[in-house]
Amino acid sequence: MNIVLIFLITIFSISLFFYGKSKTKTISIKDNIKLNALPKFYGYYLVLWCSIPALVFLLVWSLFEPVIIKSIIIETAANQGATFNDKNEANLIYEKIKAIHLGTYFGDIDSILKESALAYAKFINLFTNSKVVLIFGIIIASVIYSLKKIKNNNKARDDVEVILKGLLFVSSLIAILTTLGIIFSLLFESIKFFSVINIFDYLFGTNWSPQRAFVRDASSITAAEFEELKDAFGFIPLIAGTSFIAFIAMLVAVPIGLFSGIYMAEYASIKVRRISKPIIEILAGIPTVVYGFFAALTVGPFFRQVGENLGLTVSSESALAAGLIMGIMIIPYVSSLSDDVINSVPQSLRDGSYAVGATKSETIKQVVIPAALPGIIGSVLLAVSRAIGETMIVVMAAGLAANLTINPLESTTTITTQIVMILVGDQEFDSPKTQSAFALGLTLFIATLILNYIAQRAVKKYREKYD
Amino acid sequence: MTNIKIKSKNLNVYYGDKQALFDVNLDLNEKEVTALIGPSGCGKSTFIRCINRMNDVIDICKVTGNIEMDGMNINDKDLDVVSLRERVGMVFQKPNPFPKSIYDNISYGPKIHGKGETKSELDQIVENSLKKSALWEEVKDRLDEPGTSLSGGQQQRLCIARAISVNPEVILMDEPCSALDPIATAKIEELIDELKKTYTIVIVTHSMAQAVRVSQKTGFFHLGKLIEVGKTEKIFKNPNNKMTQDYITGRFG
Repeated sequence: MNIVLIFLITIFSISLFFYGKSKTKTISIKDNIKLNALPKFYGYYLVLWCSIPALVFLLVWSLFEPVIIKSIIIETAANQGATFNDKNEANLIYEKIKAIHLGTYFGDIDSILKESALAYAKFINLFTNSKVVLIFGIIIASVIYSLKKIKNNNKARDDVEVILKGLLFVSSLIAILTTLGIIFSLLFESIKFFSVINIFDYLFGTNWSPQRAFVRDASSITAAEFEELKDAFGFIPLIAGTSFIAFIAMLVAVPIGLFSGIYMAEYASIKVRRISKPIIEILAGIPTVVYGFFAALTVGPFFRQVGENLGLTVSSESALAAGLIMGIMIIPYVSSLSDDVINSVPQSLRDGSYAVGATKSETIKQVVIPAALPGIIGSVLLAVSRAIGETMIVVMAAGLAANLTINPLESTTTITTQIVMILVGDQEFDSPKTQSAFALGLTLFIATLILNYIAQRAVKKYREKYD
Repeated sequence: MTNIKIKSKNLNVYYGDKQALFDVNLDLNEKEVTALIGPSGCGKSTFIRCINRMNDVIDICKVTGNIEMDGMNINDKDLDVVSLRERVGMVFQKPNPFPKSIYDNISYGPKIHGKGETKSELDQIVENSLKKSALWEEVKDRLDEPGTSLSGGQQQRLCIARAISVNPEVILMDEPCSALDPIATAKIEELIDELKKTYTIVIVTHSMAQAVRVSQKTGFFHLGKLIEVGKTEKIFKNPNNKMTQDYITGRFG
């Protein structure tokens, strides 16, 4: 129904566009007056007036319709004599009534349910009909209003500009509000978690075994259980594992990325640059899941094999394999960003260095790199925040057990891996185990936020210096 | 009689397909200031960049013909560019101090050429260079501050000090005052007068007044050709060429 309505509104708007355009043209010719705007602006004006009020109404209606119907139906069911103790039971009855209406209910139907289902059908019908009537009413009213405006040769151009500005503003508002919503949902769930688990036990605990809290309702936790859970949510092994893998990744990505950035910016001929830069950037386009199975199926077993030959025990899900592949994934970020910052070091500095007799490598090492350093640091920090937020590779290639270790050959786990593990599958939503995922998410968010902030400050400061 | 320090014979420069200099024959006298004047894009800068081979930096640039310093062919493929640039310093249009301290800006060149092995030797070089460029008194108490924190005129004198620090024989100046105010310009001109006692100086300038004030010899370039060269007094008072006459009187350019 809604799709049909939207389709009709669209068709109607498009025809109004052409109508408005030709109508104003004829008016201006017939009455020999100068229009206040180009004819097409009158077309846009009609389109906007015809579509926006109707669409906004449709959206609001669709949001509230189910809620209102539900409360009405539950009330009628109660009047019919249905009994329910809490919200969940009421919801259950409502779902039953809905299923009967759709013909997908196969249980016993008593008279209460039957009556309610009939009432449900009646209300649905009523609501749909009134929706259609109201929408057409709105369209007609707004079209009449806008046509009248057009006949008076209004300043359609200015009005269109105002409406468009409003649309753009609303879009950005939606973007900001959703971001805020995500942050607040993280925050509130984390607060629930921290009401069960002490924040210091979380931040400084060295043991991570959330499965101990499985299927345990946070609201009905006993003192004994609480003591037991106290040290199940230690964050230290996760941050250690995350930083460790990120560190290995940076050991790979920073030298290779930086050197290739220097080569691209300073040595590569235009031809080489034109071919090789896109190739390096393709690395950034490979889906991380592909890197993930490459790490899990090729690199991990390879390291284990090599380790065996050398007489070492290497876990097949080692931090080394995950870090190495993650480093390879990050190379293009470092190389592309550092290429950019090196390129924006003014040529005059290089000239100054050459002019006192410095060679190219001396110039790069002593003048270009120091000048580009803030930008390079910024690009490395961005790469770090990318590394600690990376999920797929570590889910596939790093381990699940939260070992507190600095042996790269053993398996470790990361924050993101644990979030995935906690939220995959069926979950009790108010178990501290599930809520711990939000606490982890919040911690990760704060960490990347700080890194990104520092990085952007560094890059910005650098830009100001040479602009 | 003054000696000829640098001698160019039939010097041609090409940027890709475009020829920038046509058969330039120009002699530069030792311990004298030679000014090169002419409208923008006439090849003055291209010419001085041939003297320290700065054109090597530009891939598509090709130089033919002869240019000699003390009988040594600068344009020789086997010439050691590093030691050439040790002998021929350069100061650029826009002050371009390195993003380092004042001290490091000056000690950069000597370190590269292995001069000043001990700290005290290096200190001495820095002090002498800054004194020669008339900047010592202004910065002697803040040598650790970044070179970029100085004013425009001070930065340019810092760049001159940087050029002097490796003890060159020739200093090339590519419109050194074009980014400076008149007071800073006057200081630089005063400095050039002082420096010509020790160094051979070539200065590219757009200001004819400046050419008259600082130089003993002037060359006028137009569209890549050296139109006229001679004593500065002669060029500005009584040029042989009609085009030179038109340029210095402001009829074009």
